[in-house]
Amino acid sequence: MTPRRRTLLAAAGVFAASVVVGTGATVGYGLATGFDRAAERADLPDVIARFDTEGRGRVDARVRALPNLAARSYRREVKQVPLAAPGHATNRGIAQIVLGGRRGYAITEGHDVRRREVVIERGLARAWDLHPGDLLEIAGARLPIAGIALSPDNVAFPLTVTPRVYLDAATVPPGFRDPNLALLWLADPGRADITLTQARATSFGIGHLEFITRDGVRVLLGQAAGIVISLLVAFSLVALAAAGTMLAASAHADVQRRLPSFGVRRALGFTPGALVLAQAAAAARVAVPAAAAGLAVGALAVAGPTRNLLAQLNEEAPGVALVPVLLACLAGVSLLVCAASAWPAWRAARRPPAEVLRGADLAPPRRRRGAGRLRAGLLGTGARFALAARARWAASVATVAMCAGVVGLMFALASLLVRLRDDPGTVGKRYELVARLPPEDAGAVRAIPGVADAAPRYVTDAADSFRLGEPLRLIAYPGDHTRFEAPPLADGRRLRTDGEAEVGVGLADALGLRPGATLAVQVPGGSEVRFRVSGVVRALENDGRLAYVRPARLLAADPVLGSELAVRLSPGADRDRVADGLSRLGAPPPRPAGAATTRDAGFLGVLAGVLRGVGLAVGLVCLYALVQALAMTARERRGAVALLRACGGGDGAVAAVLAGAALAVVVPAAVAGIALQRFVLGPLVSRWAAGFADLPLNPGVGQVVLVAGGLAALTAAATAVVARRAMRESVVAGLREE
Amino acid sequence: MGRGSGPRGRMALALAALTAAAVALAAPGCGATRGAPAAAAPSTLQATLVDPDGDGRLERGPGEPLRDRSDLGGGGRPGAVLATFAQLTDTHVRDEESPARVPFLDRMGGAFSSTFRPQEALSTQVLAAAVRAVNRARPDVVLVTGDIVDSAAEDELDQALAVLDGGRVDPDTGARGYDGVQQASDPDPFFYRPDLDAPRYPHLLRDAERPFTSPGLAAPWLPAIGNHDVLVQGEVPPTRRIDALATGTRMVVGLDPALVPRRPVDSAAAVDRLLAESAPGRALRVPADPRRRSLRPAELLARLTGRRAAPAALRAAAGRPTLDYTADLGPAVRVIVLDTANRAGGSRGLLRPAQLTWLREALRRAAGRAIVVATHNPLDGTDGGAAALAALDATPGVVAVVSGNGHRNRIRPHRTAAGGYWLIATSSLADFPQQARMFRLRRAAGGYALETWMVDHDGAGVAGPARELAFLDAQGGRPQGFAGTRADRNARLFVPAGG
Repeated sequence: MTPRRRTLLAAAGVFAASVVVGTGATVGYGLATGFDRAAERADLPDVIARFDTEGRGRVDARVRALPNLAARSYRREVKQVPLAAPGHATNRGIAQIVLGGRRGYAITEGHDVRRREVVIERGLARAWDLHPGDLLEIAGARLPIAGIALSPDNVAFPLTVTPRVYLDAATVPPGFRDPNLALLWLADPGRADITLTQARATSFGIGHLEFITRDGVRVLLGQAAGIVISLLVAFSLVALAAAGTMLAASAHADVQRRLPSFGVRRALGFTPGALVLAQAAAAARVAVPAAAAGLAVGALAVAGPTRNLLAQLNEEAPGVALVPVLLACLAGVSLLVCAASAWPAWRAARRPPAEVLRGADLAPPRRRRGAGRLRAGLLGTGARFALAARARWAASVATVAMCAGVVGLMFALASLLVRLRDDPGTVGKRYELVARLPPEDAGAVRAIPGVADAAPRYVTDAADSFRLGEPLRLIAYPGDHTRFEAPPLADGRRLRTDGEAEVGVGLADALGLRPGATLAVQVPGGSEVRFRVSGVVRALENDGRLAYVRPARLLAADPVLGSELAVRLSPGADRDRVADGLSRLGAPPPRPAGAATTRDAGFLGVLAGVLRGVGLAVGLVCLYALVQALAMTARERRGAVALLRACGGGDGAVAAVLAGAALAVVVPAAVAGIALQRFVLGPLVSRWAAGFADLPLNPGVGQVVLVAGGLAALTAAATAVVARRAMRESVVAGLREE
Repeated sequence: MGRGSGPRGRMALALAALTAAAVALAAPGCGATRGAPAAAAPSTLQATLVDPDGDGRLERGPGEPLRDRSDLGGGGRPGAVLATFAQLTDTHVRDEESPARVPFLDRMGGAFSSTFRPQEALSTQVLAAAVRAVNRARPDVVLVTGDIVDSAAEDELDQALAVLDGGRVDPDTGARGYDGVQQASDPDPFFYRPDLDAPRYPHLLRDAERPFTSPGLAAPWLPAIGNHDVLVQGEVPPTRRIDALATGTRMVVGLDPALVPRRPVDSAAAVDRLLAESAPGRALRVPADPRRRSLRPAELLARLTGRRAAPAALRAAAGRPTLDYTADLGPAVRVIVLDTANRAGGSRGLLRPAQLTWLREALRRAAGRAIVVATHNPLDGTDGGAAALAALDATPGVVAVVSGNGHRNRIRPHRTAAGGYWLIATSSLADFPQQARMFRLRRAAGGYALETWMVDHDGAGVAGPARELAFLDAQGGRPQGFAGTRADRNARLFVPAGG
């Protein structure tokens, strides 16, 4: 192999790993900061207060007296508004009537709302292909679209089924100008709890007051997409770490290749320091352009899908803000390559030149037990060739193992997302159907053939009564809730009385709760309900920000709190027959129990695009590692290959030797990769994405087979490429070298 | 804790409701830190507490120099100092654990406000902090212009006198420890619970109930009577039924809003009417304390005039039906104290004809001196006040009428044919800014210059959190602008010759 080719091969390795870094950084940074960027751009308020419609003067008298208040504005929100545009219609629109003041949304196209115009949310514009100047029918009135707005206080339509439009107060009758929504901007958002405490204390006479802080909105947006975003961010971090490992291994292997030249230069009087500097400089010359190209390609590959993903969440893509991140990645990759090159070079250069010239490895020679036990034959010969350079073999195995681990993780992730979407059991739910029937019908439902159990399930979204901005969900069953939902206990015990609660780890972490602590909840009616925490459960729903309780205290605080019946089916029960039975009781068609991620096809499609981009990059790295390992082996064993050919060995024989060398790398790498995914990467992603729950990210048999199959295919491809190149060489030249 | 709905409970409930209703309707003015800001300066002339960035956090800011105000004429360079005196007003020392309190009325909306204050358990400590601050200013005398206590209760007066005269102060009543609406075990989010709600002050209530020692005012102090000193919640004359409620164990903490009148009503009549109705409400069970009974006006006056440390001028007023008296601040200045509390009920001031006659005589006797009048209610908010003002208008040498009641700093010129004098109202210790006021009367160009400036209390101990909470209170002095403008605080008020 010519020096130019070797350089190109090394650059290809840096490029491929940088592609992974680029994709990981783009996805991870975009998702981790998308909300903050959108909130900043939209001037999202620090607190949004919802309440029963009230005279503006009366509300404002309370609001303007609040401490730490920098600005305020009001809106009237009207729900269930019919919206229609050519080819599209919904009756679930939300019209927000802007009553002056700061907006809390950003106009991304067109201009702000004026009389007899409408501004629509970006999600609606994208989904219905609407633009400024188009007409939108709102409750029968056709209004021109003045602009497109971005407001990250909810996910975008159609991820949420309620598209939002904004109207000027002058457009609506006077009866719609009293507010039911207040937007508050605080002088110090870190002291929002103080403002909210005062707001609550002076809220007398204002019905159904509910607050949500900017942090609460962030949580809700995360919940709207389920666990997906957290998983993606965690996955990106793992991909970044994997890429770092690959780079280090690749650089290490490159130094191995250069050892003879180190010996010569040391013999000529070069100092170890000069050699190391030269090696680092050479590595930098290769790494910087290759990494820059790889990062750019990686970023571009996933920029589109990431932008779409963020748009569905009403968040903002980083745009040029990504450039400093990529530059930092470039610096990091370059430094890593230089360091990974310099360190083994330093170790090698400090040893006696004669030892280096004899072709010694970086480490002192050890007894090679494995090689001796390999059986003869072409495959075995190839394996011995690969194992002869132990350090390079280890670096290649590490690279491919990391690739295999990351790919395995992706498969596990995809499988988990499907289960989270379709299988309520994944989130600890043991019931399959939800029927809209009153609690007193539970007995009748239990009598339906195929129904194993049924009980009313009360759900209310509330807030922590002491901090106010922390949203949480209360789920109440009369009696033993574990018949229907049984997330595993992480601490304490199950609840036994009306005054006890099992809280999710997410909630326990947010509020510092543990068994014996008090959970104080402000329910939507304004009352405070308290529970003693009996246990902490690893629940996945609602990011673990939930509490299981019994309904008595909730109903005492809110007697009109509604419920639905959770229906658990007997094994093998016919759902249709059960549905018929429920309908005979007057229930509308039952719906399946919900799981933990969105079902929106568009969102999941975008997600698949992102994962594909990362997967492609990881596959490239894997292919590179194998080709590099085989090419190095073929070059070192040029004479042996020539001898084999001289003795009558054809393409197949050479390919068999190279395949043996490849298998010596791939087989242990596959095992190590699967173990890596099972014991390191999976738990790591699970903990980063959802430390509050147990995410099943273990590889299944099918996934193991898929990873192994992929590696086999890559092995075949790498073998074919290198064998073809080896067969093009002159036999005589090879024999002369031998 | 328990719920009560018996006749006794209903009576208590109705009484409490009406009491506070009347307070809120008729007298809105009377009825407005680990982490605490740095200790206040000796006076706001050097430094004061401000919230420059509007985040609800008080910080030490620059002082506010005196502003010359020549609205009445006069001016020139001030000369010799004739007297230096201080004013403390509306100190509202309260027994926040008393069943006679009505903190729940805030949530009824309408005209009700400030029946609950987040810092209400700290009134004795705030007063002690103000006493220390005033002492540092070394006044010759201190005017304590009414609403010394919050609800005419005996235990409240005991505490207030202990703070003002000096000695051991025990803010705790009933059983040891805090029993009331702010305790952490009370799941009522409308009341600030310092152990739980923001800003969190764990153990604040425990500290609030701890006995402490007050240095007492170093200078003699002259009290004026306010409506809260003689009326329950500043509104309703004490009765046996109210005493039974106050010394009982049932503290009403929630009330059916439908029972609360929405328009101004005659308090006594409404109480009678409501006592006959059933009034379901949430209640706490608290330990009884006989010291929570209401003092009758004569008892109050006897306690004030009979104090061992009472100045002779005050002792001389003993036995009168109203606490009207005069005191000399040196040879050139006379203070005339008027009792404006209406014993029949209500927070509006009242001067009876006999008091007006006494006032005219007192003014006549003060001829040749500078005259300062001290009252609880501003005279222009007092029945009979117009006649009193007319008497002052006709008297040379009147410099100022110093009052409280409104919880707001305000200085207005009162012009007369002869020149005029100043009407000065001072903020309360119950609400932000929790300041006292200093005065220094000097001669100036043939007339007078009355220099006045505010004094922040020292914020030591729990007084710091008390001021922070008062500042944050969305019904309190911050949003209502009780601190007034700069011209209402630190000013040099010229009174022309002949005024």
